[in-house]
Parts: sequence; structure tokens; C-alpha cells
Amino acid sequence: MTKEELISKLRTIVAPYVQNQEAFENLSEETDFINDLEINSANLVDVILDVEDEFDIEIDNDAMEKMLTIKASIEIIQEKLAIK
Amino acid sequence: MIGNDIVDLHLASVQSNWQRRGWLQKIFTESEQQLILEAKNPDNMVWKLWSMKEATYKAHQRCFPFPPKYNPKDFISSVDDTMFVGSHLYKTSSKITKDYIHTMAYTSHCNYKFMISKNDSYTSTKEPLKKYISLHYKIPTSCIEIIKDTYRIPFVKIDGKISKIKLSYSSHGVFSSFMIHL
Repeated sequence: MTKEELISKLRTIVAPYVQNQEAFENLSEETDFINDLEINSANLVDVILDVEDEFDIEIDNDAMEKMLTIKASIEIIQEKLAIK
Repeated sequence: MIGNDIVDLHLASVQSNWQRRGWLQKIFTESEQQLILEAKNPDNMVWKLWSMKEATYKAHQRCFPFPPKYNPKDFISSVDDTMFVGSHLYKTSSKITKDYIHTMAYTSHCNYKFMISKNDSYTSTKEPLKKYISLHYKIPTSCIEIIKDTYRIPFVKIDGKISKIKLSYSSHGVFSSFMIHL
């Protein structure tokens, strides 16, 4: 899966939890879930569970710890897909 | 060191579905999950434990500055609402009302001041905090600015200079709270 495809899938996943629409419209690799999209920290769990469902992977604690940005999420998803 | 967190219970009930498959397991240890499932009011237990983790994260990050992490499972609740982060211990105290849960975490019995306020749509949620700093330190509110560093740790700027005031700030839904280490 290309980076662009991953970003597009992540965009759909985070959409329901976004509280800053302007940042969402400008979503890029550098976007931070909490600082930019203003996703509530309790909703980050939902993002992680949605990523697990969408890609059929398991996000362990070590990976979850880093999943605060689009960039980190892409790296984790690619890593998990590679070992599937 | 201090940290505090507020949860608007009405907003939390629409924002999060903690009964979703896998949700509790991602955040809570097995014994915390047990506490939730056995609680008379599981919703309140979820948000109390959550705010204990959040408040402790803030206190811990102030003690040992680290870049933001999403590791709620590393903050482990124990008897009498103490929290462990590795070998570090924090005390917490929570206030539960029908509208919100507020938790304060601290390393030892330090002097602190806290305030919980209901937001209005006319002023910034940081206004009560600025007002308190202004009264306590006798500084005009116009000279006070609340900023966050790159680790998202809040600081108070007075006349453009970062002060030594240690504070923790939280806002969720219609509630805001702050805690200041005096």
C-alpha cells in the first residue's frame, strides 16, 4: 500500500473524532492527532482500534505509545503489515 | 510535582463507548478492568481511573520531561488511589459529581491550589487560571500568558518571560480545572 493510500485511509478513520476541521482539511504526514486535530485523548483508543480493524493488524503497547501523528501511524501500519 | 485532569461526564458518555470491544484492554490493566466490571457505577469507574492516569501522566512528565506518549497502561492504579509509574509513586485524589470527575495527582503533600470552573462561551477557558495567578502574584492579567512547550507541558509567561510557576491545566466539555504548585 502506498503512503498516499495509507493517508487516505487514516483520514477516513480519524474523521469522526476530529475537533479541528481546518487542521483536518490540511491533513498531511506531519499532522498530530492531539495538537492539530484536537482529538480527545480518550478517543485515540478508538483511532487505534479502528486502525486494527481496517488493516487487520494488532497494535501492541509499544506501537500504541508512538501513535500520535499520521507519520508515526503510517510507519507502524507498514511495519505490522510487513510481518503479517 | 502536580498534575490534574477533568472529565465532563456528559460529554464522555457521548464521545466514548468504553464497552466497545478491545477498548478497556488497551487502556486498563487486568485488575483495573476487574474494578470497572465490578463497580456499582462502571461509567464513573472508567472515567475516574482514566483521569487518575491522565493526572499522573502530567505530574510524571513534569518530574521527568519526556516527549508526548500514549501509554495509559504504564500508569497503574493501586490501593488508596495511589498510582505507580515504574517504581515512581504518586498520590491522587478524585472528586466525583454527577457532572464531572476531577483528579489531582501529586508526588508528596505539597502546597497547591486548584479550581474547577464551568466554561462560558464568552471568555477563554484559561481566564479563571489567569485571574488566580494575577491575584496571587499581584500581576495584571494582561501580562500573563499561558503557553505549552514542545512536550505540551504548560508554563506561565509573565511579561513575555517564562516564570517558575508550576501548573497543570485541563479542559473537557463544559468544565475546566487548574492546579498550581505553590
